[in-house]
Amino acid sequence: MNIYIGIDVGSVSTNAVAINEDGDVVFEQYIRTNGQPIESVKESLKTLEKALEGKPYKVKGAGTTGSGRQLAGIMIGADIIKNEITAHAAATVHFHPDVRTIFEIGGQDSKIIIIKDKMVVDFSMNTVCAAGTGSFLDHQAERLGIPIQEFGDLALTAKKNVRIAGRCTVFAESDMIAKQQYGFSKAEIIKGLCDALVRNYINNLGRGKSLHPPFVFQGGVAANKGIKAAFEREIGHEVIVPKYYNVMGAIGAALLAKEHVEKYGMKTSFRGFDVAEYNFTPTTIDCNGCANSCEVIKVDLNGKTVAMWGDKCGRWANSLMG
Amino acid sequence: MRIGLPRALIFYYYYPLWKSFFENLGMDVVVSDVTSKELIEKGIKVTVPEICVPIKIFNGHVINLLSKNVDYVFIPRFVSIDRGEWFCPKFIGLPDLVKYTIEEAKERILTIDIKGKREDTCNWRNYRPLCNILHVSEKQLKKALKNASEYWHQFRQYSMEGFTIEEAMQICDNKLTRNQILSQRSSEITIGLLGYVYNIYDPFVSMDIIPKMRSMGVNIITFEMLKEEEMSRQLPRKSKNIYWTFSKKIHQSARVFMKERNVDGLIHVTAFGCGPDSIVGKMIELDSDVYQKPFMTIRVDEHTGESHLITRVEAFVDMIKRKKYSEKRGEIA
Repeated sequence: MNIYIGIDVGSVSTNAVAINEDGDVVFEQYIRTNGQPIESVKESLKTLEKALEGKPYKVKGAGTTGSGRQLAGIMIGADIIKNEITAHAAATVHFHPDVRTIFEIGGQDSKIIIIKDKMVVDFSMNTVCAAGTGSFLDHQAERLGIPIQEFGDLALTAKKNVRIAGRCTVFAESDMIAKQQYGFSKAEIIKGLCDALVRNYINNLGRGKSLHPPFVFQGGVAANKGIKAAFEREIGHEVIVPKYYNVMGAIGAALLAKEHVEKYGMKTSFRGFDVAEYNFTPTTIDCNGCANSCEVIKVDLNGKTVAMWGDKCGRWANSLMG
Repeated sequence: MRIGLPRALIFYYYYPLWKSFFENLGMDVVVSDVTSKELIEKGIKVTVPEICVPIKIFNGHVINLLSKNVDYVFIPRFVSIDRGEWFCPKFIGLPDLVKYTIEEAKERILTIDIKGKREDTCNWRNYRPLCNILHVSEKQLKKALKNASEYWHQFRQYSMEGFTIEEAMQICDNKLTRNQILSQRSSEITIGLLGYVYNIYDPFVSMDIIPKMRSMGVNIITFEMLKEEEMSRQLPRKSKNIYWTFSKKIHQSARVFMKERNVDGLIHVTAFGCGPDSIVGKMIELDSDVYQKPFMTIRVDEHTGESHLITRVEAFVDMIKRKKYSEKRGEIA
């Protein structure tokens, strides 16, 4: 069996998948990054290797995406390192070729992707505000003392509507307290929060865009039934949550890696599963070569520097070449 | 005498003019350093927090020049360079703004009012107040302006041949030839990069967007690469004209890019809080629907993270390239 590996290192979760020649998912894993991208990538690789044990397989390609894509890409020796928009779109189109609108909500960012004829034609991403993301829900769930896993189901039991100001997490919190004092139940408050998040998301990201069905909703937050229901209420149409909703970025990275190695007929640069045993140490250097004081990221593999980036002038990045 | 030019705001459009003008008058021209983190932080410290980042950067450059022992910092007051058109109020009030922000600059600001209908600003009446201060005769002044204007038009000519401002300056200074620059270019797609010169060409604000996009195989065109006639025929005077000169140019050039240059997409780089851009950006967005061109806005301030910018630009370029390839392969897909 030929497989292609995709890894999506996000702020909250690290997701790994393996797909076969037909693009079917043969392995998937979603774990929390916990601020340790290297450890979580290693852990993912170990689990994947174990899952494949005993089966004859060959890794033909590997791709990374997510905010940690650069680091993960260097670690595993990825054939492609792609941004999240391209990766998510590739995966959605693979499973739902007729998709027109993708809602993706992750831990710290959210995006809307508009597709036409299987191609991305427009997109937007949240900028500095996290009010429409998973972190917002995480934070509120914690405040209400409800595990995030139960959040969505609880929202569905609400009997009344309550409007919560969701423009900003800080104000949402004070509004929630006020509404609790008015006597609304936890379930109703949670439903109000789901509505607020979706309203915020659509207003910020969907502004000025015409949204057409089919709608596909993915990312970690898609596990939340309350949010799915809120989306359906807001746009007045069914919203599809794909089977692999929480690892779509990783699937996209694997699909793009496959496309890439096939297109150029190249051999994969994947370092192999031994990477999990390698000693990677990323460090940050405050360069004082000039007034820019760039924070340069340096990655050592078994004591030898294998990558550097983050410098404006290329002084460090280029020092490794040739 | 040492005349300091802050490498900020409209500098990117007029530097060759001022350099030639002051040198013709026998002055030493000192340009502030390229915008860096340290420089901008000094600017932020002294400036009111609400104002846009280009002004904060400008103040940073003034401070930088003061440390270079200049006799004067040249801060012209740009009022108007075309009939019925004006500059953003911050440009009109710039010398005063600096005067009351940076105490040490107070006595060293060299300012004149730029008014009239000439884009090269070289109406000698604009510059006459400098005669007394710099101890030059009107005759010398007129001669210097004539030379400066010619030099500047040559620079503009290079821009209109498709060279970026940085490249045009290098050609003017004989540091590089046109062929040397052209030989390094290769591109698969063309993107119209919209934005004021001080946003596009300041390496801090734009985070070197031009070299970044070029390394992705993108050919860039910007508003200053278009000829005036090409732009003005796009939007004939209406009852409501956009009365900010450079905002109008951006809007018109967006039209040219979409209608006549057949660009693959447009990116608008704007500073957070820019008033004129909030109108012009929306107008371009509406146009981009009409002409069916991908359009993206990148809004920057002093807190903007580079990784966010890269992700967006990368995704935008990917989107256009992937679409183009699939069309090339004849797939409706």
